[in-house]
Amino acid sequence: MSGQDTLFRSAKMSLVQLYVATEISREAISELGEVGMLQFRDLNAETSAFQRTFTKNIRRLDNVERQLRYFGAQMEKNSVPVRPVPDNASLTAAPSASEIDYLATRAEELETRVSQLNASYETLQKRWVELVEFRWVLREAGGFFDRAHGQAEEIRRGSTDEPTAPLLEDVEQSTPAGSAGHGDTMFQTMNIGFVAGVIRRDRIAAFERILWRTLRGNLYMNQSEIDEPIVDPSTNEPVDKNVFVIFAHGKEILAKIRKISESLGAGLYSVDEDNTLRRDQLHEVNSRINDLDSVLHNTRNTLTSELRMIAQNLASWMVVIKKEKAIYETLNLFIYDSARKCLIAEGWLPTNQLPLIQKRLRDVTDRAGLQVPTIVNELKTTKTPPTYNKTNKFTVGFQTIVDAYGVAKYREVNPGLAAIVTFPFLFAVMFGDVGHGFILILMAATMIWYEKRLEKQKIFELFDMAFFGRYIMLLMGVFSIYTGLIYNDIFSKPLTLFKSQWVYPERFEIGENIEAQKLPGYTYPFGLDWQWHGAENNLLFTNSLKMKLSVIMGWFHMTYSLCLSQYNHRYFKSRIDTWGNFIPGMIFFQSIFGYLVLAIIYKWSVDWVARDESPPSLLNLLIYMFLSPGTVTEPLYPGQAIVQVILLLVALVCVPWMLLLKPLYLRWEHNKHHAAGYQGLGQVSRVSALDGDDEDETPRGRDSVESDGEGHVLIAEEMKEEEEFEFSEVMIHQVIHTVEFCLNCISHTASYLRLWALSLAHAQLSLVLWDMTMAVGFGFEGTTGVIMMVILFSFWLNCTLAVLIVMEGTSAMLHSLRLQWVEAMSKFFIGDGIAFEPFSFKLLLEDGADQ
Amino acid sequence: MANGWSVFISLFAIVGLSAVVWVFAPKGENQTVWRSSLILTFAACYILWAITFMAQLHPLITPRRSNLRPEAHSDPRLF
Repeated sequence: MSGQDTLFRSAKMSLVQLYVATEISREAISELGEVGMLQFRDLNAETSAFQRTFTKNIRRLDNVERQLRYFGAQMEKNSVPVRPVPDNASLTAAPSASEIDYLATRAEELETRVSQLNASYETLQKRWVELVEFRWVLREAGGFFDRAHGQAEEIRRGSTDEPTAPLLEDVEQSTPAGSAGHGDTMFQTMNIGFVAGVIRRDRIAAFERILWRTLRGNLYMNQSEIDEPIVDPSTNEPVDKNVFVIFAHGKEILAKIRKISESLGAGLYSVDEDNTLRRDQLHEVNSRINDLDSVLHNTRNTLTSELRMIAQNLASWMVVIKKEKAIYETLNLFIYDSARKCLIAEGWLPTNQLPLIQKRLRDVTDRAGLQVPTIVNELKTTKTPPTYNKTNKFTVGFQTIVDAYGVAKYREVNPGLAAIVTFPFLFAVMFGDVGHGFILILMAATMIWYEKRLEKQKIFELFDMAFFGRYIMLLMGVFSIYTGLIYNDIFSKPLTLFKSQWVYPERFEIGENIEAQKLPGYTYPFGLDWQWHGAENNLLFTNSLKMKLSVIMGWFHMTYSLCLSQYNHRYFKSRIDTWGNFIPGMIFFQSIFGYLVLAIIYKWSVDWVARDESPPSLLNLLIYMFLSPGTVTEPLYPGQAIVQVILLLVALVCVPWMLLLKPLYLRWEHNKHHAAGYQGLGQVSRVSALDGDDEDETPRGRDSVESDGEGHVLIAEEMKEEEEFEFSEVMIHQVIHTVEFCLNCISHTASYLRLWALSLAHAQLSLVLWDMTMAVGFGFEGTTGVIMMVILFSFWLNCTLAVLIVMEGTSAMLHSLRLQWVEAMSKFFIGDGIAFEPFSFKLLLEDGADQ
Repeated sequence: MANGWSVFISLFAIVGLSAVVWVFAPKGENQTVWRSSLILTFAACYILWAITFMAQLHPLITPRRSNLRPEAHSDPRLF
């Protein structure tokens, strides 16, 4: 493969070192972010986040980002729509430093302006609310006063009868009798004062109680509800409030009332008790409200127009700032070389992207007109490179399934490639129905058709998941149609594509139990014969077929997966794994389950009826092969006993072979090396970045910079840890592997029987659904039939969609997922890789959009 | 001519088809995906077909039913 990376293995990676002149470091990193193919290593791991070079810049950008978010929040509050990012193309060019500065100052200015406008708007609104409350008090208080006047006389008169009446005792003394008879009696003359105000409705009960207790009932309180809720300017929430007027006598008591009201958050307003004065006050308040209204309106208009102006650019500013921040965060990973005025970076990239990166960096240097070139240096290293599988929109779903289980080891066989077919196919074996598969295709095709439009918006989580797996779903649908044709099921009904191989006799009595005859020399050419549908012994046949089918499919799948492990052994040049793991494992598996599959196929190929022999039970064959080797009660073929004994012995030999060969070989190899005195070598193996001029320098910690003015040496190599050979550890590992492998061969084969169970359940469920709904509907005639049909059809359709497609589909998908992860991937997948996470603006912005 | 030989004939057909796919898969970075996916698809479909076909080659049981009416004799539309 000439440099081209395929999905079969993860991409070849290189560790590169960049020397970037400080003048163009920003531009260069921005360019790399657009390419999005480099994963930088942190070269300052021991430096804390605050001590790094560009922390100040990041702080500043954080502040700008906060301001932009503030604008966003204000826009949301004032329902100003934010214009989406116009086109990513216009943003690809890195903004110059002066542009960023301009943006920062502009954001600063705008923030002060917006917050000023907001503050003044809030104060104005507070005043406005106060005025409105005052107006309510004025309006309501009129009624209270009138009533109070009427009552004053009554109460006064009553109090003469009842000297204990607390409120008017003083009045009794101070007012000459008879003078209160006038309607316009002033309260002052009775030495009664009052407090008027507005309080929240939910506090009114507490308010009353407190007043009553503290004043011992020396008050007369009037209140009424304000019909419309009043908006609280600080929280912007409508609050129900009540107007109250409290009459009491004595200055101290009044002061107490005032204090209590204020402590409970009531607003107090001074109202004149004189009717005409009150009317004047009302007039004045009304005119002031009108004035405030227009001022408020103007302020609001200015604010929204200001915000609208910001909204034009907010999204693109946000993108610019986010990118800028990411650039500085990346620059913080670099080492600053003060002597050479350059930044040194290290990072992983796919090897075949190296020329592109070099070219882009050269372009940046040329554009800046700099004489110092940007140097890209490929390093040799024994570090494990990150795993990177380049995916497209079709393969990404399948790759995600694999990555969800574990990231593949660098350059090992990627299970994602085979999963493109095996995952949806095994799903379809369980989901086989032409009709259901067609609906799946329709759903997937719709999502693919509107892909561009749906990609940008998030709808709800479940749909987003389905949308992400739209190509998986498409293949699931396609394969379901195929397996549906094989099972001859379309919404549980058969398709009669070909002539049946079964013919029922011409004459029979109604209700007679009749058996079909096979047409001689003819077999139904494609899939299951439709005559089995509706036959009484249908299940007997499909059970046997699907059980054997799942064993054979499982055997193929596992053999295929086991073969992939050999590709790994070959690639990693591990001959001992081939001889000590793959070959004995393969022989063990084939001598038991390969034999079983062969027996199944052989049994099918023999015409037992023509031979007039009774066919042996294959289950017993397998069981007695282990229990009583050498004796065959029901022979399948001549010489069976001896073949089975040999196979059993071969399988048994494979166990110790697998158990011992690899650990013993490794020990022998280790001892040989040890004897030759090679141990300990490699402890000082490190690779210098520039030349070999660091030979005599003392080994330092990783990635240290030595500024001795002459040779700047970056040690790219971590001190290689000597892998201590521990025989017991290797042995234990191999014992676990052997036991696991042998047991898994059995349990995994059994696990594939889920294909049988699920496909049978699916077929039966759709058959039952049809019989309970549509079949019932066909029993009616005339108008009733039409009505029944409409109702039953809609019921059938809904159940088909909800139960058979969504629920059954999900369950089949999960089972297929398990077969992929456990049964297939356990045969070859190592999965101890590190995911490749390149510095990419595209990924960065997508992540930002997700949050 | 649907007899036992069909299994082998179609096996050759599938192998031939796979060879054609191997040669004519679209060039470019997705060539491996095309090759692997199509050949695996052919193989999987072939296996499934061959299993059902062979299972019906010499069936040990025959369909049996008692709800057949004389006029519905072997007429698939009435099932």
